[in-house]
Amino acid sequence: MSGTRPLRLAWLIVLGCGLLTETAAAYIDPGTGSYVLQVAIAFLVGLAFSIKVFWKKIAAFLQKLFARKTSNGGDAS
Amino acid sequence: MRPEDVLPSSFRDPAGFVFRSEGVIHRAILAPGRTHYDRLMTSGLYGELVAADLLVPHEEVPPPGGGWDDLYKVIRPEEIPFVSYPYEWSFSQLQDAALATLEIEKRALRAGMSLVDGSAFNIQFIRGRPVLIDTLSLREATEGEPWTAYGQFCRHFLAPLALMSLQDVRLNRLLQVHLDGIPLDLASALLPMRSKRRASLLLHIHFHARSQKRYEGRSARVTKGRVNRRGLLGLIDSLESGARRLRWRAAGTEWADYYADTNYAPEGLEAKRRAVEGFMARVRPRTVWDLGANVGDFSRVAAAAGAFTIAFDADPACVERNYLRVRAERETNVVPLLMDLTAPSPRLGWENAERQSLLDRGPADAVLALALIHHLAIGNNVPLEGAARFFAKAGRSLLIEFVPKSDSQVKRLLVTREDIFSRYTREHFERAFGERFEILERIPLAGSERALYVMERKAAVPD
Repeated sequence: MSGTRPLRLAWLIVLGCGLLTETAAAYIDPGTGSYVLQVAIAFLVGLAFSIKVFWKKIAAFLQKLFARKTSNGGDAS
Repeated sequence: MRPEDVLPSSFRDPAGFVFRSEGVIHRAILAPGRTHYDRLMTSGLYGELVAADLLVPHEEVPPPGGGWDDLYKVIRPEEIPFVSYPYEWSFSQLQDAALATLEIEKRALRAGMSLVDGSAFNIQFIRGRPVLIDTLSLREATEGEPWTAYGQFCRHFLAPLALMSLQDVRLNRLLQVHLDGIPLDLASALLPMRSKRRASLLLHIHFHARSQKRYEGRSARVTKGRVNRRGLLGLIDSLESGARRLRWRAAGTEWADYYADTNYAPEGLEAKRRAVEGFMARVRPRTVWDLGANVGDFSRVAAAAGAFTIAFDADPACVERNYLRVRAERETNVVPLLMDLTAPSPRLGWENAERQSLLDRGPADAVLALALIHHLAIGNNVPLEGAARFFAKAGRSLLIEFVPKSDSQVKRLLVTREDIFSRYTREHFERAFGERFEILERIPLAGSERALYVMERKAAVPD
């Protein structure tokens, strides 16, 4: 049962974000559930994406740096 | 007014429709589709997608006929040699179609456009690759608008892929029942608990299903939520990594190791190969259906002779292996498809007309039925007359292998059951097929008691 607690917490967070969307204004058709979920998780997945892109850039930079160092080392020997 | 021959699968879109003129498929673009189409063509997106083999190329043509209301343009897309459906695809075919859809959406976003549909039916396999065929599903994007195709993408792609990968590969057949994709509450209920440990499946299937249930039947008033560009890219990226991480290994099914496991002598296989080559040279078919193709060894003999070949098999592992080979070797004229000949794809959808049956998509110029007849006649109790009737509908020329009762494979089929097949003999086979076909040649296969028959459908065949 302990495994379901984080799931419930995650759902409550998503639900909370959904409730922010569900306040007023336009009526939306049967796809409402998909719509609300997408708006609710957009921040989360957007953030995850930004972090991923950032890490990739760092990894690429380090790789380049490392490659340069080894090629320099190769020249020296 | 619309022309008479609008395709029955094309009635939902106000921006255009598909019709047939002199046997050729055309797409009419109506006034509501004008800005979208122009944006597609002028933004460079069309050229980019076509160059990447992601979108079917087309040319603009003058409207055949005319007098239709609000017509903007008529385009003629490249012909699709054989239309297949997602419930006929193997795991990797569906996965590649999903990834192609997401790649198109990513490129569309960069061009200020977006896919309005996430339907697997909009993808077809052309030259071995999954290609978007619904040119009008690319629309101008509105800043801040969520991805309208999100729910449909999850139902059509992510849910079946997750079910096939984590539960049972045969669950793709749910797509045949649920033509607009597997309902997410059903997918959520069928998926194992461990699927919840994957963030993408937790969000896009389990939470998605819960969210749908929460708002079901409620005329909830929701703000027009905004999803910024980063949010959209994040969503696509999350779906993509979710779909990409799913795996299915084609092993352990009945047929995938068939050739390794049978008592075929190598010379028997070689003789069969030569017979297929001879048949191809004699008939020169443009299209071939290889029925019971296994992993497609003989389909490739047909393809090498220049025929566009559909390799059907009922075993998901065979179709998967066959497709992986098509992909690895960049083969362009073999399409492996899942098909249970004892229950082939029926007509489906609105008015039973949106999706064609297998036979609606024929006849092929030629049919290969190698090591198949005993499975139909003995494994499935189909009388030989019934088998002949089916093959006469499927193709004009036929290369069929007769496997007699004395063959070890047939003996194996009869081990656990009573032999009620007194009419399963060479003589009766020739008589039953002779009613519908001219038998042009009988080729005994050395090293076995089997024989191949070259047949040509008679001009007038009985029903």
